[in-house]
Amino acid sequence: MPQKNKQYYSLGVDIGSISTKAVVIDQNKKILARAYLWTQGDPIQAMKNVLKTVREQLQERPGRITWVGATGSARNLIGSILQAEIVKNEITAHAIGALTLYPKIRTVLEIGGQDSKIIIIDKGIVADYAMNTLCAAGTGSFLTSQSKRLEINIKDFGSLALKSKNPAKIAGRCTVFAESDLVHKAQMGYPKHDIIAGLCNAVVDNYLNNVGKGKKILAPIIFQGGVSKNIGVVKAFEKSLNSQIIVDKNGHLMGAFGIAVIAQEQGTKKLFDFSIQDVEFRTQGFECKGCPNNCEIICVLKNHKFLDGWNNRCEVGMAKAKEHFDK
Amino acid sequence: MNKEKRIGIPRALLYYKYNVLWHTFFKELGFKIVTSPATNKKILQQGASLAVDESCLPVKIFLGHVDYLKNKADYIFIPRIASFKKNEELCCKFQGLYDITVNTFPDLNILHYNVDVNEFRRESLEFLRMGLTVCKNPIKIFRAYRKGKFKQKHLQKKKIRRQARLLKNKKLKKILIVAHPYILFDGFTGKTILDYLKSQNIAIIDADIAQKKLVKKLSQKISQDLYWTYNKELVGAIDLYKNKVDGIIYVSAFPCGPDSLVVEICQKKIKNIPSINIIIDELQGEAGLITRLESFIDILEYQQKSAKNYKS
Repeated sequence: MPQKNKQYYSLGVDIGSISTKAVVIDQNKKILARAYLWTQGDPIQAMKNVLKTVREQLQERPGRITWVGATGSARNLIGSILQAEIVKNEITAHAIGALTLYPKIRTVLEIGGQDSKIIIIDKGIVADYAMNTLCAAGTGSFLTSQSKRLEINIKDFGSLALKSKNPAKIAGRCTVFAESDLVHKAQMGYPKHDIIAGLCNAVVDNYLNNVGKGKKILAPIIFQGGVSKNIGVVKAFEKSLNSQIIVDKNGHLMGAFGIAVIAQEQGTKKLFDFSIQDVEFRTQGFECKGCPNNCEIICVLKNHKFLDGWNNRCEVGMAKAKEHFDK
Repeated sequence: MNKEKRIGIPRALLYYKYNVLWHTFFKELGFKIVTSPATNKKILQQGASLAVDESCLPVKIFLGHVDYLKNKADYIFIPRIASFKKNEELCCKFQGLYDITVNTFPDLNILHYNVDVNEFRRESLEFLRMGLTVCKNPIKIFRAYRKGKFKQKHLQKKKIRRQARLLKNKKLKKILIVAHPYILFDGFTGKTILDYLKSQNIAIIDADIAQKKLVKKLSQKISQDLYWTYNKELVGAIDLYKNKVDGIIYVSAFPCGPDSLVVEICQKKIKNIPSINIIIDELQGEAGLITRLESFIDILEYQQKSAKNYKS
C-alpha cells in the first residue's frame, strides 16, 4: 500500500527581527530543506519567501508536511497565519534544537540580530537562562551597522578580524560609546582589522558581563544564532572562556530546527497546504478607545477578513476589532 | 455645613499595603472616600509628564493617580513614611513623597501623616495629629485608628492562612513572586504577569504575605545589614518559602535602587531553584515579557518531567 511508505515532515519557522529562518525535517530529525532570508521589516512577505525556497527544495521528496511550529519575535503573527499548532518562545526552541543535535551540551550561547541569550543545561534539561534586558548592545545588528560604517561587507568581518595581532580596545558596554570609541580609534590611525578585532572582543566582553553575568559557563559550549557565523567573535569567545566552542554549520537555523522538533514531538498531525503563499495577508492596527488604556490591537486580515489579533489588555477590544473588520 | 467631606486616596504605592487601614480610618471619621481606578495608560502618561525624568516608575504612576483625583475630592491623602524602627528605613521615595507631591501640585489640600522614629514620630500619634486637623474628638480618632489597624491585621492573617493552604496543594505548580505589592498588583506593571501566570494555571505565592516578624529575622540569613524595611521583609520571605515552590520570579520597576541591589544579592545567594528577574519600565513591550515568562515556565516543566523520569 502506498500509504505505508509515506513520510511525514515537520516545518519550523523562526521569524526574528532581522532574519527569517525555515527548516523542514523528517521523522529522523534530518534536515531536508532550509531557508535563511532577511526579514526586512516585513515578516509576512519574508515568511512567504522562505516557504517558496523550502518548497523548491522539497519538490523531489515524497513526504508531506504534517507539523508546523513557529518561533521568534513574530511568532504570534506567523503562527496564526500558518495555523501552526506549536507557537513557542525562541529560548525553548533554541535549547531543544541544540540538545537534539548535541545531547551532551552544557551551555548554549546565542547572539541574534536584536537579542542575545545564554542557556544553561544540566543533565540534558534547561536549568537556567538569561536574556539581554533593556539594551541591544553587542548583538548582530550592532555589528552590521558598524561594518557599514567601516565599509566592510559583514561576511568578511570575521576573517578580517583574525588578521589582527593587536586588537584595539573598544568600549563594548554601550553601542553609543562603542561607536564614538570606534570613530576615535579610526581617526587615530588604527588599521581596520585591529578595530574589527576590537569590536569582536567588545561584543564578547559585553555578552559575558551582561547576559552571562553570574552564570557558570561549563564545557561543552555551543555558540549559535546569526553572529556564530562570525569567526572573529567565535575566536574571541574561545580566548575569553579558555575553552573550545562548537559552532554547528546549521547554527543560524537552530531556532527553526528546534521548533520543528517540538512540533513533531508535541503536535498532532495536520496536513500543511503550501497554497497559503498565494493568500493575501495584511496587518492593521485598530484603536479600541473603549477605556483610558486605549489599546492598539494588531489585527491580521486574511483576504480582508479578520483572522487574529493581539496586544489587547482585555477581551472587549478583540470583539470590537473583529466586528470592525468583518463588516 | 454637615456635608460629607471627600478624601481622595491614590491607588498607588503604599495603598496596596495599607488600604484597609486608611479606608477604615477615614470612614470612621465620616469622610466619603474617593479612590482612583487601577492604573491605565492615561494615568501613566499623565504621571510621567508630571514627574522628573529620574524618578522611578511607581512614583510616576503615583503622581498620575494624584492628578486624576485632584479635582474630585476636598482633600488628598499623602502619607510620608521614613522609618518604623531604628536602623531601618524606607526607600527614599516614601520619605520624599509628601514633598514631591506638594511641589508638583502646589494648590492641593493635603492630609498627611509622618512616621519617622528618628524624629520620635510614631504611627499612632501621627494618625492622631492628622485626625485633629479635621476632627475635634481625639477619642473618636484613636478608635478609628485602632479599628483600621485591627481590620488590616485581620486581613493579613487571613491572607497568610489562604497562602498556607495554597502551599500545601500538591497538584498545582507554585511560583514565588518577589515584588513590592505596588508593582505586582498595579494595573499597568503587574497585571500582564499575573494574568499570564493565571492563564497557565500556576499558583502565585506572594512574598509580601508572611508573618513580618518572622521574615525579618529570616532575612539575616541572606543579608545581615539590609536596612530597607520592605526589602528586608521580602528577602526573609524567600527564605521562608523557597523549599515549597517550584521557581522564583523577581519583579522590579526601572530604575529601582534598592531592588537592583537586593535582587542581585538574592540571585547570587539562593541557588538550586530556577529564578528570573523581570524589570518593568514605562515603555513596556508585552512580547518580551511573555517570552521570558513562557520560557521560564517551560524550564519548570522540563525539570519536573526529568525528575519524574529519574524516579521511575
